Amino acid sequence: MVKVTETMNLLSTEWEIERLPFPRPDDKTVDRRNGSHRTPPPIESQNYLNTQQAMLDQGVSKVQLTDLRVRFGEREILHGINARFIDQRITALIGPTGCGKTTLLRTLNRLNELVPGFHVEGRVELDGMDIYRDVRDVRDVRRRIGMLFQRPNPFPQSIEENIAIGLRAHHIVPRGEVHDEVERQLTEVGLWEAVKDKLSESPFGLSGGQQQLLCLARTLAVRPEVILLDEPTSSLDPVSTQRVEDLLVALKSRVSIVMVTHNVQQAARISDYIVFLYEGRVVEANTATEIFVNARNKVTEDFLTGRMG
Amino acid sequence: MRRRILDIVMWSLFGVALALVVLPAIDIIVGILAQSAGSWSPELLFTPTSGVAGGLLNAWTGTLMLMALLLIMAAPIGVLGGIYLAEFGSQRLAQILRFGSETLAGVPSIIVGYVIYLVFVVKFGWSFSALAGGIALTIMVIPYIMRSTEAALRQVPTNLREGGTALGLPPSLTIRRVLLPMALPNIMTGLVVAEAIAMGETAPLIYTAGWSNSLPTAQLIHQPIGYLTYVVWTYINQPFSQAHQLAYSAAALLLVLLLLLIGLGRLISARASRFNDRFQV
Ligand SMILES: Nc1ncnc2c1ncn2[C@@H]1O[C@H](COP(=O)(O)OP(=O)(O)O)[C@@H](O)[C@H]1O
Ligand SMILES: [Mg+2]
Repeated sequence: MVKVTETMNLLSTEWEIERLPFPRPDDKTVDRRNGSHRTPPPIESQNYLNTQQAMLDQGVSKVQLTDLRVRFGEREILHGINARFIDQRITALIGPTGCGKTTLLRTLNRLNELVPGFHVEGRVELDGMDIYRDVRDVRDVRRRIGMLFQRPNPFPQSIEENIAIGLRAHHIVPRGEVHDEVERQLTEVGLWEAVKDKLSESPFGLSGGQQQLLCLARTLAVRPEVILLDEPTSSLDPVSTQRVEDLLVALKSRVSIVMVTHNVQQAARISDYIVFLYEGRVVEANTATEIFVNARNKVTEDFLTGRMG
Repeated sequence: MRRRILDIVMWSLFGVALALVVLPAIDIIVGILAQSAGSWSPELLFTPTSGVAGGLLNAWTGTLMLMALLLIMAAPIGVLGGIYLAEFGSQRLAQILRFGSETLAGVPSIIVGYVIYLVFVVKFGWSFSALAGGIALTIMVIPYIMRSTEAALRQVPTNLREGGTALGLPPSLTIRRVLLPMALPNIMTGLVVAEAIAMGETAPLIYTAGWSNSLPTAQLIHQPIGYLTYVVWTYINQPFSQAHQLAYSAAALLLVLLLLLIGLGRLISARASRFNDRFQV
């Protein structure tokens, strides 16, 4: 326990915000900006090369969190989170149950605002724009930052209407083209063949996996730039899980993905970056390869090897 | 062993409770039907009351008219109020509304009737009339409809509510297309119960709707109106067996209307919520 606290102090004092969570590919830039920089540990493996490659193409940060603190009533759940979510990459949020993953995720699209007692400090920036301060239209923020829930939650409307409702509300396509667009979205998630003859039926007759795909299509239909997923496959069978994972990887080219997962294997399979959360703090954040091969922190290692929650 | 005994005791208690509710209900229904059985005839339904004899045409059409007025006035106000309480319940105005509604719910119906009498019948000069009766019933059931609507909306899984919000839908759209379809069966049940309560009321009507032997017309004020509970309430005290027959028949007719009302409510909510029948929480 003492060790953990020490590590956290280390994190909050020695590391500068700009370098969290992912070391920049270009160390000199970082050096110039804040003077001190811990050189990356020398690793002479193939993985090191992979890491280097991953860092080089890591691109711009789509969402950036700066000293984010979240309270529910008197109780602080997130104690100063600094993190970046890179555009067109999958970042997995992992950590033991109750460490604040869901809370963090729901703060990114202002969904926690619905919860009484919710209080947020610090910055959440989408393309450099503070979504809590610089935004007039919170609905457009929520359109740009879509969300898929742990349990499928289709609306009590027809299958077609589930997709069409967002298309119309956000004026994504002209009214006359809504039907075609619904087909396009359902095709994209691979659901069209299964539902094309029952578009006017209830979505609750679909299997859990199909319902989750419908929800994904509903989210994608409004052209999000970021997608948040909270253990999206935890209630699905292996085949549906595989489908969702494949889709997420395919979607990378258009959106940034932040995925909470309980499943370390899943994080290993599809994520590019990993943010390890522990008791409301980021303990370690890096490329997935680096985390799995070379976790710098004992807590991270314990978690990954299953010695903890 | 102890658990078995406990089980048996528990189930016996449930049985007794059930019997206490069901048996009197059956007794009442059977009693009323038996008492009125002799007088069922087309004349009963299709001739108006004259003195203490005749049929019930004026009474049951009057009851339907009052029910329709009630639905038109109470359902929109009550449901909108309930939506407001459920979705914006933390606002100051909502707290005032809730307090008012709870207070109103505690006021005896005869007092509601008396206040309507003083204001509309006397002060506005409407005299005994359908509209005055309808308003009395409306004021009586609005708290009930508001409360049942609010409860129905609060029962919708958070998951669904948040799905609409997370998609960036405006709150009004989430309410209309996501929450209401889910809550509709319970809202409908609330409305049906409210109508049923109102249908069985006499006290708030006596001083507002009055009584009339002739059929209701489109004239909503300046003209009294008949209703079934009046027949039940007053004719049972008359010293004529014909009057008693009419009272029992009116009670039986009320039961039939009640069943129709419940059936209609079921039908509407089944149709309106056809997409959420298989929703798994
Ligand atoms: N609405 C809330 N009100 C109060 N406390 C909450 C609320 N939501 C979550 N918490 C608390 O925040 C902590 C983190 O929860 P959560 O973010 O759900 O963790 P995780 O998703 O990592 O399992 C938990 O201790 C939980 O009890
Ligand atoms: Mg969680």
